[in-house]
Amino acid sequence: MATSNVDPYGFERTEDFDFESYEEFMKTYLSVLSRRASRWSSDLLMGSKKVSRSQKLKRFIRKGIPSEHRPTIWMQMSGAETRRQQNPNVYRQLLQEKHDPQLVETIKTDIPRTFPDNIYFQDTPSDPQCKRAPLFNVLVALGHKNPSIGYCQGLNFIAGLLLLIVKDEEKVFWLMDTLINNMLPDYYAPDMMGVKIDSEVLGDLVKVRDPQLYAFMESAGAAWSIVCTKWLICVFADVLPIETLLRVWDCLFYEGDKVIFRVGLTLLIHNRDKILRCQHFPQIMSTIKAIVMDEYSLNCHNFLQAIFKEPKRLSRAEIQKLRLHHRAQFSK
Amino acid sequence: MANQGGAQRPNGPQSKICQFKLVLLGESAVGKSSLVLRFVKGQFHEYQESTIGAAFLTQTVCLDDTTVKFEIWDTAGQERYHSLAPMYYRGAQAAIVVYDITNQDTFGRAKTWVRELQRQASPNIVIALAGNKADLANKRMVEYEEAQAYAEENSLLFMETSAKTAMNVNDIFLAIAKKLPKNEQAGQQQSRQRGVDLSQENQPSGGCCK
Ligand SMILES: Nc1nc2c(ncn2[C@@H]2O[C@H](COP(=O)(O)OP(=O)(O)OP(=O)(O)O)[C@@H](O)[C@H]2O)c(=O)[nH]1
Ligand SMILES: [Mg+2]
Repeated sequence: MATSNVDPYGFERTEDFDFESYEEFMKTYLSVLSRRASRWSSDLLMGSKKVSRSQKLKRFIRKGIPSEHRPTIWMQMSGAETRRQQNPNVYRQLLQEKHDPQLVETIKTDIPRTFPDNIYFQDTPSDPQCKRAPLFNVLVALGHKNPSIGYCQGLNFIAGLLLLIVKDEEKVFWLMDTLINNMLPDYYAPDMMGVKIDSEVLGDLVKVRDPQLYAFMESAGAAWSIVCTKWLICVFADVLPIETLLRVWDCLFYEGDKVIFRVGLTLLIHNRDKILRCQHFPQIMSTIKAIVMDEYSLNCHNFLQAIFKEPKRLSRAEIQKLRLHHRAQFSK
Repeated sequence: MANQGGAQRPNGPQSKICQFKLVLLGESAVGKSSLVLRFVKGQFHEYQESTIGAAFLTQTVCLDDTTVKFEIWDTAGQERYHSLAPMYYRGAQAAIVVYDITNQDTFGRAKTWVRELQRQASPNIVIALAGNKADLANKRMVEYEEAQAYAEENSLLFMETSAKTAMNVNDIFLAIAKKLPKNEQAGQQQSRQRGVDLSQENQPSGGCCK
């Protein structure tokens, strides 16, 4: 395979990019991808464009949505497509309305600060492939439509990635609108309560599954929100390797936010021995920074199988109960 | 958090290793991450990614007979991340509060951070004020004298810096290192894991200890 300094999504590879593991992984993953693509056409879609929820679809999605179907399936399964169809022209109107100058200013500052190492996010306004203008539009429309949220840093990375995959900015807008209002309410509000609560929930989920790891993190003074704020806010965008991220988002848009905890738990519990070997908090932080990008996380097909096995049973009721508990704690 | 002022290095009677927790605070886009990148890696990026939550880095400087290891927390500047900040400045022995000399609002915001630190952080915290983007002097909106007077009133270290040209970047970290107490008592109340063998750790490149 030819090695390039830019990946298929336009990201420049860093100097320390591990081509060897990547190629090793790609050798097998490419055949997985083509097998999945043909199974999707012959067994699942069978000529139709519309799919409905079923155990079979869920199973297919967990094994990865072929990239050509990704935008449609994400739109349909998250409910964003319904929103879009029920609100024709709304996106264009939102863009034409008068916007809060402060909102515009904050967003403007972050446009060149979003994926500066991606070729589609360079300062090349005349290039039709350049994502800077669409990114600005999506974020302004989103903040304008949701004034109680406005603009939260981190949304730029999610929107940026969605633009690279879904390409159509109106669709990205509706996906984002669904994400911030339905899938992750409270994450992006000014008090970021959802993020604070879910950080503690992740900690509690670790506690039940790996008390030793939990106790170790606590004694090292490693607050859960220090560990996972970016994971949650960016839903792993700009955290996990991109193929892995897309596979996680496949499940996110079908199954909802539960998958976020599955990923977090898998990263921590699978790497528990590495973490337990750390001698102090800074070392824990460096270790955690490394594990999200290591071979285990890169090998997305195995990783996705692991997230449904490694953290054992994880019920919505368990998460709900913990969320309520921590919400009450925070409002004391 | 392993913070100890003055662990004796076994193989050199004269050289001590001190470890300090330092936090960077200030409005978004004033250049906190850029200052850290310059200090730790000697680099500058025209477009630096916005920081989400906080980033953690370490860098070591040498000061006479002492090796000072900074554990640096580079926080996110957007207002809504404010409520996460105490987690990062809790137990910190030093803070750099950054503003952008081309933007008056960021100076106001820096003052708010200083007040918050004075009230809520460790009482002995060493606070430095950095007026960053000093290379953009033609767009200056905050006068040097104004900031200096404010820093004096509040007993802060003060320098104008430029992450872009590297002006005063190492200097401000060094000035902090000088001001930090390097005796056995320093920072003891925070040290949870004493006796860590620091010699095992990789020394970051680009510091003065090469
Ligand atoms: N001219 C000039 N530009 C700078 C300097 N320092 C930073 N910048 C630019 O200012 C922008 C913001 O810098 P960052 O370091 O990301 O700012 P930050 O304070 O970390 O921002 P947040 O992470 O959002 O809190 C970047 O595009 C930098 O290139 C400087 O000294 N001079
Ligand atoms: Mg930053």
